[in-house]
Amino acid sequence: MNRTQINIFTFLIFILVFSNLNAQDFLKKQFDYAKKLYNNEQYFDSITEFKRLLFFDSKGEYKFEANNYIGLSYKEGAKFSDAILYFTLAEMNATTNDELFDSKIEIIRSNILRRTTSHAIELLNSVESDKRFSNRAKEINYWKGWAYIFSDNWEEASNYFAQTDSNTVLKDFCKKVAKKKYSTSLAKLLSLFIPGSGQMYTGHFLSGLLSLGWNVLWGYVTINAFVTDRVFDGLIVGNFLWLRFYNGNLQNATNFAEEENLKIANNALNYLQFNYHGTKP
Amino acid sequence: MNKIFFLAIFICSISFPQEITSTKTDLFSLANTKKFADYLFCQRDYLRAINEYNRYLLKTKSDSIVFKIAFAYSKMEEFQNSINTFQSIPKNSELFLQAKLEILKLLFQSNNFVELRKKITNDSLENKNAQPLLNLSFLFTNDNLPEKNDFCKPFPSEDLNKVKNFYEWKKDPPYKSPVAAGILSAIIPGLGKFYTQKFWDGVWGFISSVGFAYLSYDNFHADHNFRGWLFGGLAVGFYGGNIYGSAASAQIYNAKIQFDFVSEVKNFLERNNYFIPKINFCQ
Amino acid sequence: MRFFIIICLIYSIKIYSQSDWIKWGKANYSYQIKDNFQHRDYSLDYQNPERFVIKSLADTYWLFISDVDGDNCSFNPTCSNFFLQSVEKTNIIQGSLMFFDRFTRDMDILGKVGNYPRVSDGHFFDPPSLYLMNQDSVKYSPPSFVVKNE
Repeated sequence: MNRTQINIFTFLIFILVFSNLNAQDFLKKQFDYAKKLYNNEQYFDSITEFKRLLFFDSKGEYKFEANNYIGLSYKEGAKFSDAILYFTLAEMNATTNDELFDSKIEIIRSNILRRTTSHAIELLNSVESDKRFSNRAKEINYWKGWAYIFSDNWEEASNYFAQTDSNTVLKDFCKKVAKKKYSTSLAKLLSLFIPGSGQMYTGHFLSGLLSLGWNVLWGYVTINAFVTDRVFDGLIVGNFLWLRFYNGNLQNATNFAEEENLKIANNALNYLQFNYHGTKP
Repeated sequence: MNKIFFLAIFICSISFPQEITSTKTDLFSLANTKKFADYLFCQRDYLRAINEYNRYLLKTKSDSIVFKIAFAYSKMEEFQNSINTFQSIPKNSELFLQAKLEILKLLFQSNNFVELRKKITNDSLENKNAQPLLNLSFLFTNDNLPEKNDFCKPFPSEDLNKVKNFYEWKKDPPYKSPVAAGILSAIIPGLGKFYTQKFWDGVWGFISSVGFAYLSYDNFHADHNFRGWLFGGLAVGFYGGNIYGSAASAQIYNAKIQFDFVSEVKNFLERNNYFIPKINFCQ
Repeated sequence: MRFFIIICLIYSIKIYSQSDWIKWGKANYSYQIKDNFQHRDYSLDYQNPERFVIKSLADTYWLFISDVDGDNCSFNPTCSNFFLQSVEKTNIIQGSLMFFDRFTRDMDILGKVGNYPRVSDGHFFDPPSLYLMNQDSVKYSPPSFVVKNE
């Protein structure tokens, strides 16, 4: 071979290499395009493009990232079951420990949002016992805190936020919410002894007074009937009226406590969603 | 020699990379669009598949792709879209007949029996394939049934017994008469509810009307006139309510057996694969 | 474990494909817990005297009795609501007959299971539309169904 031929041969090699690089560039380009759609909040289309990328990515270079982004897109559309499916695919294709941890946490966050919190906590426990992630204990506790928030257990949530030490805001907030809540059993206990008092404890004064009134009335009529030896009347009134209103009184006490607690929880959740600026599920 | 070598290298260097870029890396090329769409289709991701197929159709014509789009719509239970798409397949296409049959199935699935019959009677071509659907459609409407033999003719012998049963049920449904239920309850309170197979409702209907009537009688007897009138009024209310309720209960009973019948026929259709298309796109 | 995951994935394919059959966008997801408590509608209609009288009677009944004597009606709509809706859909006489019939059916403690479909909170679904004496308005749903609240 003479010199020109060698030159040309290197030129050809260069072009071939370049064209192969070019081929990989196309996948990169597709990835960037799909990512751009994701950033523009066009989640449905971004999933299409990531799926296209996965379909043509014969070497599987983007398997983790594309699946992860598909999961994130589904999560933005509040389609958590789909999100979990794709995060699981990402998890199976993770190449580093960090990627593995991230996808596991994403699965947990979707579970929290889907309100399958017991499953989220189970997963968190299994991550916690995994030696590879021993240096991520704080993050794990942070998400445990969120899982307990979403299962409406603010006391426990506060305990876990306490173990993250950086998050006193959430710790105090959860503590406050837990304190604000009414005790359902106390409400029931109060109404057990003084009808209506449990309702008043939760702020429902009119209903409490009505309950008290009915119970006093039918209680008086029943007892009066027994005292004056009208046993049949006493049984009928006692059974069908007094007992009915007494039971209603107990039901209302627990119902009102639960209703008020739900209001408190929802206010707190609303506050967290819109006014808390740290990482959220 | 050198020149030829040079030329060969030149041609290779220009055409080869382009070859790579066009088939392997242009993900939006015609062939790749179709490949990707087929993949989505077989993943049951129908809406995305339809979008890809439509993009494909912008550049080239293909009846089989149109057919697939229509098929995807039918899988998504968007019957009207599916029918419209099937209808756009031209007469000279190979898939024309298949598409027509699909349309009939869709009309059946969307309970549009009137349109279904009109289509079949207008076109003798389809009669052979569509006759079972046409006949079964009579089970879902209140139109006059065809003759029994005509009705059973298009079905294979193993289905014949079942089809005959369906026919006879439709011919003479075992309905309960609301009037009869009302009259029965007027004679003995609660009897009409027994007739419509609401045993406990009948018992309580009897207890409430007769019980209050007795209380009323007892109180009038003891000169408690106010209570007498009160219980008497309640007795009349329960008595009337029971007559009314028995008639209503007969209607509910009829709706129930109608519901059971329809679900049985639909089960039969599904078990016998009347809706599974002969073409399987995803092997 | 991995095998199990793959099996799960295969079974979930059906679900994920269906959720994409309508184009969707960013969801307005709320952290708040859905409130299933039923709240009464105490509003009065001042235009229609008949309805005004009946509704104010019902309101009084709800306020003083029904709300404080516990959850005694296993039906949805409740008996008082059933009466109101019946009168609204028909007239006072037919509505009363429907109410008396409903009341007898409510007495039956044993026979309800397996005879009525349920709503999501466990109450038996029994709307007035089944009792209007109009065969076409009778929309039957089998007892195994869980119907959505109207």
